[in-house]
Parts: sequence; C-alpha cells; structure tokens
Amino acid sequence: MNAHANEKSQIPRDDYLWDRSGFPDPEIQRLESLLAEFRHDLDHPLVLPATSLPAPGAPSFLRFLQKGWVFPPTRRLAAAAVILLAIPTSLYFTLRSHNAPPATAYGWNVASLQGSPQIGTQILSANRSAGKLHVGQTLTTDSTSRASLSENDLGEIQVEPDSRLHLLQSAPDRKRIRLDVGTIHAAIWAPPTQFVVDTPSAVAVDLGCAYTLQVAPDGSGTIRTTIGWVGYRLNGRDSFIPAGAMCSTRPAHGPGTPYFEDASPQFREALANFDNAQRSDPTVAKQLDIILRDARPKDSLTLWHLLSRTTGPARVQVYGRLAALTPPPPGVTRGGILQLDPHMLDLYWNAFGLGDISIWRFWEQSSSPNASPSP
Amino acid sequence: MAALFELGSPRPGLLPVTSADSPSTSDHALVRSAQTGDRAAFGLLYSRYARMVHGILLTRVPPADAEDLVHDVFLQALPRLAALRDASKFPAWLAAIARNRATDFHRRAKGETPLDENSDAADPASSHPAERHAPYANAEAHAVLSAIRSLPDAYREPLLLRLVEGMTGPEIAARTGLTHGSVRVNLHRGMQQLREILGRRASPASSGDL
Repeated sequence: MNAHANEKSQIPRDDYLWDRSGFPDPEIQRLESLLAEFRHDLDHPLVLPATSLPAPGAPSFLRFLQKGWVFPPTRRLAAAAVILLAIPTSLYFTLRSHNAPPATAYGWNVASLQGSPQIGTQILSANRSAGKLHVGQTLTTDSTSRASLSENDLGEIQVEPDSRLHLLQSAPDRKRIRLDVGTIHAAIWAPPTQFVVDTPSAVAVDLGCAYTLQVAPDGSGTIRTTIGWVGYRLNGRDSFIPAGAMCSTRPAHGPGTPYFEDASPQFREALANFDNAQRSDPTVAKQLDIILRDARPKDSLTLWHLLSRTTGPARVQVYGRLAALTPPPPGVTRGGILQLDPHMLDLYWNAFGLGDISIWRFWEQSSSPNASPSP
Repeated sequence: MAALFELGSPRPGLLPVTSADSPSTSDHALVRSAQTGDRAAFGLLYSRYARMVHGILLTRVPPADAEDLVHDVFLQALPRLAALRDASKFPAWLAAIARNRATDFHRRAKGETPLDENSDAADPASSHPAERHAPYANAEAHAVLSAIRSLPDAYREPLLLRLVEGMTGPEIAARTGLTHGSVRVNLHRGMQQLREILGRRASPASSGDL
C-alpha cells in the first residue's frame, strides 16, 4: 500500500480523534469509556475566600454580600462550611493588611548550608545560621560557604561558594535578583515569568522550572535546565533552554545557541565554534555543515534558534534540515520561516512540545522595558 | 446559617446582574470582568477551564489529588489575575499555574527537598506514594493512564484532555490557547505513540485489543 493510500485510510480515525466526527474509532471509544472514571467532577464547587477578588472602590466584605458565592454548580453544605471559615480568616487578613508593613519588608529567608555566608555585613555562623535578605541587600558566599534562599511564593535557590547576588525586587507578582558572579540552583514554583535573574551577560526568565545558572568572573555565563524551560535574553537576542539543554552567554554578545547536553561531541564543538566565530569567518559554513549533519530530531531546538542567526543560503540550509527533522506544523510555510515571520516561528516552536511560547510573549509584553541585563 | 445558604444558592435571583452571565460571553470579557472584581465572571471562567486544569494536573499528579489541586490552582490564579495584562493569554497563563502547582505538589510530597533530575516531578509517570494506594479498582484504566503519562509533555496533555476530560480538539485549542494545527498534530502523534505503548504491553488485564 502506498503512502497516499495509508494516509487516506487514517483520515476517519483522525477525524474522530479530533472532533468526534467521521467514522467512530472503536479503540478510541473504548479508551474514552475506560478513562471516564478519572474525569473532572463537574459537580465540584469552587469556593473563594471573601477577600480574594478586590474590586476597585468597594470594600471586599460588601462585595462579598453583593456578589454572592455562586459558582456553577454548588454544593451548598460544603460552600457554607468554607464560608464560615473564610469570614474570620478574611477579616483577619483585611485588618492585618491595614497595619502591615510592605511585603518586601519581610525579606527572603536565608539559611547557611555550609561555612559563613554573609548578608550585607551580617555573617551567618553556627550561632546564627539563618537571616533575612531584604531588597537592596547583597548575599555573598566565600569559597567555603553555601546558602539557601527561599521565599514562600517563589521557590528555593541554593547559592554555591564564591557567589554574590543582590535582591532587586520582591513584589507579589515579580521577583528579581542580580547574580554578579557564582552559581545558583533555582527550583521555582511561582507562575512562569515571575522570577527573573539579571546577570552581566543576559537576563534569565523562569518559565516554570528548575535550573542552574553560573556566572564567571568575566561576566560570561551558562544555564542548564533540569525541569521546564528558561528564557535567556540580551538586547532582544533570545534563547530558550528546555529541560536537558544548556546555553552559554557572553557579555555584549548575549546568549549563544542552546543545545541538548546529550548531543554528539562533534555537534557541540561545531556549535561552539559557530557561536564564537565572526559571520565572515570562512570556517562558519563548515561548522554549520557538521551541525546539520549530526542533528537529531530533538536538535530541532538548536536548528530553530539558528534560523534567526543565519542569513541567505545558510538559513535555507538550516530550514531544509529542520523541516526534515520536524515537519512544519499547519500554518507554517517555508517562505514565512525564511523571512523570519514571528507568528510562524512561534507556531514552529510550539510544535516541538518544549513549552508554549505565548508565555514568553506575555512576559515580553509586560516586562520588556526591564529586560535589560545588569551593567 | 440560613443567610449563608442563601449566599451559596445558584438561584438566578441572587446573582448579580453582570455582563458575564451570558454563556456566549467571550473569555476575554470574562477575564476583564474578573480582573475588576466580578466573582460571577471568575466562576464562569472556572466552569470553562476546570476540565483543562484537571487534565493538566492529571498528567502529573495522582488522580486522587487532582480534584483538590484544581481548586488550589484557581485560588492561586485569583489574586494574580489583576497582573495579567493581555487577557488573551489567560489560557496559557492558567495552564502554567497548573503545571507549577503539580511540580509544587511533588516537591512538598518529598519533604521540601530540592528537585533533581531523578525527582518525581521530573518524571511524572513515576509512582507517587499516594498513587500506589489509589482507590481505583480498574487496573486497566490505571495502566492506560500511566501509558498516557509516559508520553512527551506536548502529547500527553492534549491526549488526556481528549480521552479523559472528553474535550474535542477544537475545545482543547480554545482552552489551551494553542492553534488547531498544533493540537491536531499533537493528538495524532500522541495517539500513535499510545497505540505503540499499549500494543507492546502484555497486561493480563488487557483485553488484547489495546
């Protein structure tokens, strides 16, 4: 049977999978029935605390009475029980908030893991192994010290020896530190884009992940992602680093091309040479040949980034290999990609399944004025 | 107490008159209304997106915990909603919160220890203690769920939303903010991989046609 006939024979099955139209696929029907026990309980109510939706100009308690607790569908007894608990809680927080200092005044928790980390001039020691890092303060570790930094709504950051970082911002929806030098391991549970790290050669934006970020004394850096993905930016040059991948960055130049760490040594070496070479360097074409030759389907990550880092025939070459490894999704055309159509590039990225790029676009839109690295 | 029951009543007479009440109201309008404190609008967003959130959670946490975590996700989203500048990003934004909540669930389950590459969160298909004792009698259903959870991220979410939550491809696209093309491709490839996995398994509970 030829490929066309195969394709035709699969159309009804795909249609049923897509929108239940066409000829029902008995296997999919069986799976639907089998898995129905895990389905979301549509009768499960959502009950909100009274102070959770502050509307401008109206006291929350009055809004609570006015708006009601109506969420479809409602289990009244459960809702009433939660309401009874929520009222005193919300009153406590409402009253507390009037006299409470700004959230930033509480600082982030710092604990010594080893040696004597330093917050400003305060040295953490065996007698006092914990402290607070406030906005504007610096946390420093020497060659024998390690520390952990945590914030309830953010996550935890381990600070390795010979590191220096500053807490720049600690707003409810935006946390920002500057890592001058050293190594941090970040495990972030705040929503994506809320945690940003400035470094001398790039800004690292958490997109829902755990990662390790290193900054060398000369300002260059590397990032390795273990869960989720991270955005790395300098002056509009972006790199996205998903789990299992890494990326280097240099001052003034910005993020290099990310790659999966299990790529072949030849691939990695050629990519490093490509990133470090001037575009006029005659060896660049040879390096690109090696990269494209050794690329695996998962290395579409690297090739996608190379699209915007090549021009002319080199870009055509990159696209050809990328399209062979990961066929372009519907809505993406060769011409559009070669012209670096932003929408098509985004569609292509999303087809890799490494993370939804709209999250990054959201961050770009909301934070681009602040997206420059530290001096 | 009676007054509290009245507050919990879904009777239309007790609902505030709001533009969010129409089923045809766009998500964009609902997000905007919710951002200004309209609880009914947020309730409608919940009713529209709870299945998506549940499906995303179910790819990462034990079924017994997913339902409660749906509630947590919406409670986390609520105070942060005002910071969402582009209402059209709401689906992706909410999905990201759900994924983070699942990661947090595993992190807490491991006693606040830092994540590493071998953690449960890094491998959602791994066996969580709560899952090992899940009160589901249907071993075959669990085996299939486990197989779906072993698929790559991009495939397991749409496939689970389709097969477990009963959403169609267009619904998944609308709720996740992805394009029809992406969802269709991922559903197709995910289903292909699922068939391969199930075909390889020789489970005694299987009827043989999986």
